[in-house]
Amino acid sequence: MIIEIVRRYFPWALDTTRESYLQTLSKVPLFKGMGKNLLRKLLVDLVEKKYTAGDIIFHEGEIGKAVYFVLEGSVKLIKRSNSENKTLHVLEPGSHFGELSLIGHTARFATAVAEKDSLLLIMYRSYFDDLIRDNNAISTKMLMNIAETLSNYIYHNEPESNAQKISP
Amino acid sequence: MTDERDKGGASLADLRKLHNQIPRWILVLLALCVAAVIVSRITQLLITLMAAAFIAYILNSVINAIERLGIKRTVAVSLLFAFVAVFVILADLVFIPNINQEIMDVYAKFPEFSRQIQNALLSTAQSNAEKHPIIGSSIMKLVDAVFGPSGFLERTLNASEIFTKAESLVMALILVPFFAFFLLKDWPGVMKRVMGWIPPSYVETSISVIEEINILVGKYLRGLAADCFVIGALASAGLWLTGINYPITLGILSGVANIIPYFGPVIGCTASSLVALMQYRSLDPLLNVVVLYLCIKLMDDFVIQPLLIGKGVHLHPMLLVITLIMGESLFGIMGMILGVPVVTAALKTVGILLEHHRDELSRESTGSLIKTHLVKSLVRPV
Repeated sequence: MIIEIVRRYFPWALDTTRESYLQTLSKVPLFKGMGKNLLRKLLVDLVEKKYTAGDIIFHEGEIGKAVYFVLEGSVKLIKRSNSENKTLHVLEPGSHFGELSLIGHTARFATAVAEKDSLLLIMYRSYFDDLIRDNNAISTKMLMNIAETLSNYIYHNEPESNAQKISP
Repeated sequence: MTDERDKGGASLADLRKLHNQIPRWILVLLALCVAAVIVSRITQLLITLMAAAFIAYILNSVINAIERLGIKRTVAVSLLFAFVAVFVILADLVFIPNINQEIMDVYAKFPEFSRQIQNALLSTAQSNAEKHPIIGSSIMKLVDAVFGPSGFLERTLNASEIFTKAESLVMALILVPFFAFFLLKDWPGVMKRVMGWIPPSYVETSISVIEEINILVGKYLRGLAADCFVIGALASAGLWLTGINYPITLGILSGVANIIPYFGPVIGCTASSLVALMQYRSLDPLLNVVVLYLCIKLMDDFVIQPLLIGKGVHLHPMLLVITLIMGESLFGIMGMILGVPVVTAALKTVGILLEHHRDELSRESTGSLIKTHLVKSLVRPV
């Protein structure tokens, strides 16, 4: 209501940069089914950080304390296997990584490197804990989204035979 | 020339060697001493900045709520300040005259009150002098310490005179909102710049420090402001019901004083007891006041504070008293108010940094083990 009035009569008062990030954030799988109010809250509350191309965001084996959302640029996930680096994935705006750190004190599975100059939004674990403690609906949706990410991950990476066994 | 360069080179190498030899904690201690000297020289400015930061912190949640509507921060801050200005002007026109009248009344009658208390105490001392000489001499000493030349009262009144000097008051009235405005408006920009300076490997630890302190100090200060208001209202209502004069002034005093742990409630209770004693000249109303403040204190400790502030800010009683005394001697009342959250935040920061250090050590020692399971894995999650 208020936002509509502001948009109509006082467009200069709107934070257009943040509104564009809102579109990007709404594509993040972790926030599937979340309202715009929550995403706006996250954009206001969370810390943004710019990384230049080649910056290492975190190392494989580190204890994770935060989850990252890509707002601009791209991030490469690299896994070291048999003394060679293998690129697992390149994450574009609207992606997230490091979500296991929200669940427990787990070590990072891969190294994250900024492929281009990137802008990331960082959510620290205690913020996530506060968020899900205060709101049951958000908590359920977010945990379901994390579970879905994990189950997709397990399903797509099981050996072919196992995948056939468990598929209907 | 070459000799001099050699000398310079040698001395530089010596300095480097010395730097490596000195334990790091001595350097930190030296830096803290230098910081303490600088701080003690610019106390007035720091108090103003602390007051502005306190106000900015309280108002930040309102600004964040407006920002969440999609409105620019600058517009949100300007709107809030315009609203506060209108509110202050209206309050000045509507509510303040009554309170002002009451405060002026108290101020005008204060010398008479003080003389009456002094006389009452002196007559008690004289009547007890023969039967109980120790009590008599103790009361005389008390009167001298409180009412005598360079006694507590004179020192307090002098301090309040300094505080109410028109010049410094006007400066504070201009500077505090000025600093608060810019702190509120530019804080996210400052944070972004600071985040830009932090090396990527320290980002998560830095965010954890910022986040924990933010949660801790924010909860404490906002809770404290609400607690102050509730205690002030309860004291005013209670004093009004028991028929004590100047309930609003005494309520405001009790609420503000309540910010200071341990000493605050005693200040409020003492002031109200003195007024009750002067008004009725008997001990019954005095007892009512003491019982009232005792009830308020119990409610504060067991109901209001746990609800409003929570248990996040918890210091050991000994550390709390040391913090209060040091805060008072460095920054006066502001030091007493802000000392507790600052020390708690510092302790929390040290805890997080130690945890980071421990994580680093454990990563170094178990790094090879972590890779072994699920090596096959892939893209996400990480």
